[in-house]
Amino acid sequence: MEITVNHLMFGLFAAMILVFSVLTVTTRRILRAATFLLLVLVATAGLYFMLNYQFMAGVQLTLYAGGIVVLIIFSILLTSHISQKFEPVGWKKSYFSALASIAGAILCITTILQHKFQATTEAAKEIDMKLIGNSLLSTDRDGYVLPFEVISVLLLAAMIGAIVVAKRKKKD
Amino acid sequence: MNLNSFLLMRHEIVLIAVALIILIAEIFTSEQNKGRIRGLAIILFALNTIIGFFPATTGTLFGGMFTTIPLHIVVKNILNIGTLIVLIQSNAWLKTEENSDKFPEFYVLLISTLVGMFYMISAGDFLMFYLGLELATIPLAALVAYDRFRSQSAEGGIKLILSSAFSSGIMLYGISMIYGMYGSIYFDMLSPAMAMNSLTILAFIFFFAGMAFKISLVPFHLWAADVYEGAPVNITSYLSVISKGAAVFILTVILFKVFPTISDLWQKVVWVIAVMTMTIGNLFAIRQQNLKRFIAFSSISQAGFFLLGVIGGNEMGMTAIVYYMLVYIFSNLGVFGVIAIISNKSGKENMDDYNGLYHTNPMLSLTMMLALFSLAGIPPVAGFFGKFFLFTAAAQKGFYILVLIATINTIISLYYYLLIVKAMFINKSENPIPYFKSDFYTKLGLGICIAGLVIVGFASGIWETISKLAFGM
Repeated sequence: MEITVNHLMFGLFAAMILVFSVLTVTTRRILRAATFLLLVLVATAGLYFMLNYQFMAGVQLTLYAGGIVVLIIFSILLTSHISQKFEPVGWKKSYFSALASIAGAILCITTILQHKFQATTEAAKEIDMKLIGNSLLSTDRDGYVLPFEVISVLLLAAMIGAIVVAKRKKKD
Repeated sequence: MNLNSFLLMRHEIVLIAVALIILIAEIFTSEQNKGRIRGLAIILFALNTIIGFFPATTGTLFGGMFTTIPLHIVVKNILNIGTLIVLIQSNAWLKTEENSDKFPEFYVLLISTLVGMFYMISAGDFLMFYLGLELATIPLAALVAYDRFRSQSAEGGIKLILSSAFSSGIMLYGISMIYGMYGSIYFDMLSPAMAMNSLTILAFIFFFAGMAFKISLVPFHLWAADVYEGAPVNITSYLSVISKGAAVFILTVILFKVFPTISDLWQKVVWVIAVMTMTIGNLFAIRQQNLKRFIAFSSISQAGFFLLGVIGGNEMGMTAIVYYMLVYIFSNLGVFGVIAIISNKSGKENMDDYNGLYHTNPMLSLTMMLALFSLAGIPPVAGFFGKFFLFTAAAQKGFYILVLIATINTIISLYYYLLIVKAMFINKSENPIPYFKSDFYTKLGLGICIAGLVIVGFASGIWETISKLAFGM
């Protein structure tokens, strides 16, 4: 197999995602965890660019990497002290979690590699904004207007839920 | 597609309208008149329940993303009735001083979870199914943490949201494998394409594990006891009855619709999980002293009984599940209603506190006894027929050993249900829970439960109606 630039780029992004994901959950400082998460999200955006899906990559960069991580960092800075360190996890716990994750990863990887995926017969499509807009508001098959609306109900409910949990105790 | 066809989603639209009216009413009522919202919410929801029974058209919308068949409508109506009882029962609790500043949100959150369940039931593809599932879970976490100044409640909320996020992740991974293999997430495209190979099996296991988390089947049940104990009692009853019933129904539908070609496999999985769930749930229930924990484990074991209908994989099984859901709503809500009253009035939740309850509160004790008998499956209350039909459904397919194990478990469960009855009626107590008068809504809630238990037990027409519709599956 010939190694092309694409392969190299994919390897780079995949390695970034893997390494920084592990670091996100193993670091003991919460702000570092947020920063590593940012790098994971940026690398994922890179994968979308490689797939020629610019819109998704743009959304990933602006919404996730830009918006959500900033929100997370804000809430960390507002609620906890920056030098605060988590208790180190006991060796027994980390040993068994590592065992479970490695076993799970091996199981998934071997099964996926074994499977003979059928290549699609459809030609590659240029995904432009018009197509995305049309299928987002289409009521036909492969149209997404219903999920789109249900998500807005979900967001409303989630906001009300957040308010209920965060509401200040009533003053007597 | 015209406006008329939207009427297919009538159940969902009416529910969303009710939630929005309550939300707007909260903004425009003054501080003194806030209490009226409680009455308004119950009346609106009762209206919604009645509207649900009007004849409805069936069909599909949005290119197959939303389907509705007569059986879906029956299930939605059953869930409506259950939620109405929960709303009526929680009225007294919402009236208390500590909830005075946030009770309208309670209704909005509860109703939006019900909307999620309705969309999940009617889903025609994995996307709508997943959205419905999240809509049914995320607001519930806020409701579990509703008593947020009690640390147990906050802990329950965070446990629910973390474990459900984890299980959603696992389930989504399974769904993404299915999409990768078959190139579609629509149920009707997947079922003919589904083939038996190792990746499909892995995807199915991931999907099933995610669902088992939500239904709290053993070995994915550990979150349930803590969440059930931490949540306010009325939320616990909603979680263990309505959410669980809806999730079992949708699991069955997906097993029938998406995975029929690998039914040999999932029957084995369901067999093992059913035995573990019934047995372990029962054995843990015996050890519990706190009644909320006790009911949590007993409802885990009840979920195992539901699986007997799932494994049948035929119309009989489907009918038995829907029928048992109805029975289960009345019996479990009856038990929870009594626990909630006693917990709210006296703050007592332990089994020993119930000693001698019959002498001070005879009506509550009788209600509790009837509901417990129904859960245990003693004739002539409805629970007996519910269990009987579930066993028949499994036996029809030749799962005799499973039915035998289930019967043994029923006997074990009878033992610990009778422990409570014994505490109430036979045990003597130095200082029993004093007599107290309940208000109108509390009585109404328990009255509906008792009436339901007796009517569902005796009216054979209900079974026949569901049975006729289940053949349309």
